Amino acid sequence: MPRKAAQKDTKAGPRKGRHIAKKSSPKDEGPRIGVFVCECGSNISSVINTVEIASYAKKLSNVVYATNTNYPCSSQGQKEIVKAIKDEKLNRVVVAGCSPRLYEPVFQRCVSQADLNPWLFEMANIREFSSYCHKNDPKEATRKAKDIVKMAVAKARLLEPLKSIEMPITKKAMVIGGGIAGINAALDLADMGFKVYMVEKTETIGGYMALLDKTFPTLDCSICIEGPKMVDVGRHPNIEIISYADVLKVEGSVGNFRVRVRKNPRYVIAANCTGCGECREACPIEYPNYADMYLGVRKAISAPFGQAVPLTHTINKDYCIECYKCVDACGARQAINFDQKPEEVDINVGAIIVSIGYDMYNPKDMEWTGYGKFANVFTALEFERLILAAGPTGGKVVRASDGQKPHSIAFIQCVGSRDINKYEYCSSFCCMYTLKHAVMLKEKYREGIDVYVFYNDMRSNFKGYEEFFNRAQKSGVKFIRVKLDKRCIAEDPQTQNLTVTGETEDGKPVQANVEMVVLANAAIPQVGADKLAELLGIPVGKDGFFIECQPKIRPTDTENPGIFLAGACQGLKDIPYSVAHGSAAAAQAAAVLGKDKWLVEPLVARVNEDLCSGCRICESACGYHAIMVEKVGKRDVAKVAEGLCRGCGVCSSACPMDAITMPNYSDVQIVAQIKAVSTEAAKT
Amino acid sequence: MPLKTVKKDTAEAQTLEWILQVQDYKLTLDKNRCVGCQICSLACPKEAIKVQKQPKIQGQKAKKAKIDVELAKCNFCGICDVTCPYGAIRVTMNGEHLLSVVEKKSFPQLIRDIKVNPENHAPGFVGTSRPCPIDLIKLTFITPEGKPIEKTSVSVPAEVGFRAKIDVDKEHCPCCRVCEFTMPPGVMHVRKFISGRISIHPERCPEGCTDCLDVCPITGALYLSDDRRKVNANEIFCVYCGACKAVCPVDGALELSRTAVNHTPVHSGTWNKALERLTSPTEMTKELKTKSSFRARESVKRRVGRAVE
Repeated sequence: MPRKAAQKDTKAGPRKGRHIAKKSSPKDEGPRIGVFVCECGSNISSVINTVEIASYAKKLSNVVYATNTNYPCSSQGQKEIVKAIKDEKLNRVVVAGCSPRLYEPVFQRCVSQADLNPWLFEMANIREFSSYCHKNDPKEATRKAKDIVKMAVAKARLLEPLKSIEMPITKKAMVIGGGIAGINAALDLADMGFKVYMVEKTETIGGYMALLDKTFPTLDCSICIEGPKMVDVGRHPNIEIISYADVLKVEGSVGNFRVRVRKNPRYVIAANCTGCGECREACPIEYPNYADMYLGVRKAISAPFGQAVPLTHTINKDYCIECYKCVDACGARQAINFDQKPEEVDINVGAIIVSIGYDMYNPKDMEWTGYGKFANVFTALEFERLILAAGPTGGKVVRASDGQKPHSIAFIQCVGSRDINKYEYCSSFCCMYTLKHAVMLKEKYREGIDVYVFYNDMRSNFKGYEEFFNRAQKSGVKFIRVKLDKRCIAEDPQTQNLTVTGETEDGKPVQANVEMVVLANAAIPQVGADKLAELLGIPVGKDGFFIECQPKIRPTDTENPGIFLAGACQGLKDIPYSVAHGSAAAAQAAAVLGKDKWLVEPLVARVNEDLCSGCRICESACGYHAIMVEKVGKRDVAKVAEGLCRGCGVCSSACPMDAITMPNYSDVQIVAQIKAVSTEAAKT
Repeated sequence: MPLKTVKKDTAEAQTLEWILQVQDYKLTLDKNRCVGCQICSLACPKEAIKVQKQPKIQGQKAKKAKIDVELAKCNFCGICDVTCPYGAIRVTMNGEHLLSVVEKKSFPQLIRDIKVNPENHAPGFVGTSRPCPIDLIKLTFITPEGKPIEKTSVSVPAEVGFRAKIDVDKEHCPCCRVCEFTMPPGVMHVRKFISGRISIHPERCPEGCTDCLDVCPITGALYLSDDRRKVNANEIFCVYCGACKAVCPVDGALELSRTAVNHTPVHSGTWNKALERLTSPTEMTKELKTKSSFRARESVKRRVGRAVE
């Protein structure tokens, strides 16, 4: 993406160009500008008179060639540009067309083919800025387009040739978050031959998928299909798992990141622990297990579940009473070390894949659900642990109040999601897992159970999902479509049975008396996602998920080159979509790691050391830690880390000495543009 | 159902609970049995138990200190249950009184060495009507026909052939030895499970202060001097629980130290730390030394086939 200089504060008035950039023109000629006005099918030409624009451009000084053409971005159009450069000896090119965000790199490559420095190309956006927004006023639109072209030409006259900055690349990657998306990203990169560090916050990789019973729509056993992948990650010679760890600091830029990771103490030496579990047997202390959604317990020294990778046990000092029975049980393996300290390591990588997944909303504060108050109201993930054969009840679906199998269950959809007061978005996978639960119950207990689904819209897109919905309907699950804001759950204090009430779309009341309720609670951004985003320099949307570079065509890139997104942290995804997203991010990262040098666009801040007073204002203005004051001889002078500079221009605006310039966004160039549009605009 | 953690505090009891779908952990502190001593708070490995001194109201007797268990720190290990001299704390899992720390030998059990010889109950002995200061002894006489007669007085009926039946609630017994003296000689034999020392420095006591005596649950362990102005301690009956120490308003007026705890054999870091806090680092080291010399002796015995002294 071309980095654009931030808009200068025009209120401050044009700055005096105290250090006017030399008019650089190759071969010591004056500027010879060619202007190509794009018609963009009818996108531009139906509103703007492109012929008029071309003939107007021709009259501008230094413009030696101007034409209107249908698609200059097409291969034919590009050939014409190359030919014109050669024939007319053009040394500047302006294309008046669409947004530079999309097409500037294309035209830069095009002019390079004609041996012209790509930074001697300028784009005038007459589509988004004029034809699209002034559809109903072709005359004014044309006049505005003229101004835009005139400004572009004014800047083009002052463009200077620039050279891309080359950066070396560390051919290693880091994957932050070891859920199913991260696992796939790591395995793909490792298989391509890159060293991968997988940093995981919890004790084990696997994420939520490792906690699920079955997966929709095939009803495959979740851990049976993820387990082998987890083991592959653990065994892969190119992957190093750093579990039970936190990311503390991220420095550097694409190709050369340095990440500080803190390995939290497990009080068990990973190299010595065989995962045999003898310490666990000896341990007298139990505490509620998160992996069982607190329905069951685990020992103070244990792994969260049997298939954990790594299987290294962890001592939870919050509960451990330090009786050292585990030390006795471990014996000659000597894997237990109560004096372990947190360890910080710096890891150098060329690319980072962020796959920290999501969290689950606790519906305690939605009082109508009765969650936390009524014993037999469960969340979906709790239900998942209940129905799982390896779960705390051994796969028995039983009520919390009396341990009995319920004869009727209601599933309540969209609890927290699709709610403008909570989470406006759709959590995307709840419909399908509810169908899964409903089908599993019906197929397990047949006539022995009544299953109700209180839903609003059933979202069963993607392969095999609609068929699964049909299967659920055929199996006898009762689907009740209700309004989302009229639902309520009440409990009979005697039996602790529940009554679900709602209202259909046409206003009729509906009701079901059931013995258990399962809530499809919203999936929400991972705890700490915002903090990690700050460390990584990537933006977070108002929904709390990371923002990709471009929602349609660049779904894994972030605004920070070299950092990629995988899985649900970018937006909620089910398993197949997360797997694909993880592999896509791996491919993107490989495209970086596979290069020998990384070319950085030369639009980075330049410091005129003679003018710099070393006041450090730029340091605090810079959001990327890219400019630092250093000692040069006896003076303090600002220095730019080119790899980090994003070319935003904030330092340049902040500098009281006008010592910092942005190449091709210099004061002189911008003033020239302003003058072009303000002084002679009225005449044409 | 999400994990529920509950703490309730009533006049009768303090209860803490973890309610999980498949398990239920409960700690009950019986406030009638609790004397506000320091033992549980010293033994607790998570430092979850606080001893809160209660404000004294002028002209009234001192109130025993309040024991408060912090829900966020408690892990329901049951060590307080094991160590409470008065059996005032009970930790259960799914309603059953099974303590994993004892079962897994992570913590010892206190040895309440109480021997009862009802046949020694001499005929015609006139004792106190209250043989146990905390009413743990139930005395019944059985007629020659086998019929029980409950007596409020302990004077044995003159009729020949009556047998004494003595039920002791050992679980709640602090082993104070008072019954050895209130019952006919040879009937009760009690060994204390905590040894120690107690001394009161009357010169440091505030004039007229009887706070320690007010809270002491063992009749006779503390008593007023003949001029009824100062409190004295009687080592024979003191169980070294520290209820007195918890309320003493002056530093150094009441000195209490524990030197040993009679317990079942155990090899556990938790016990070592508990013992260190209950007694002192020196006493704990002594026990460790004894243990290791015992083990050394055992290993010699194994090698040479006989005990070597």
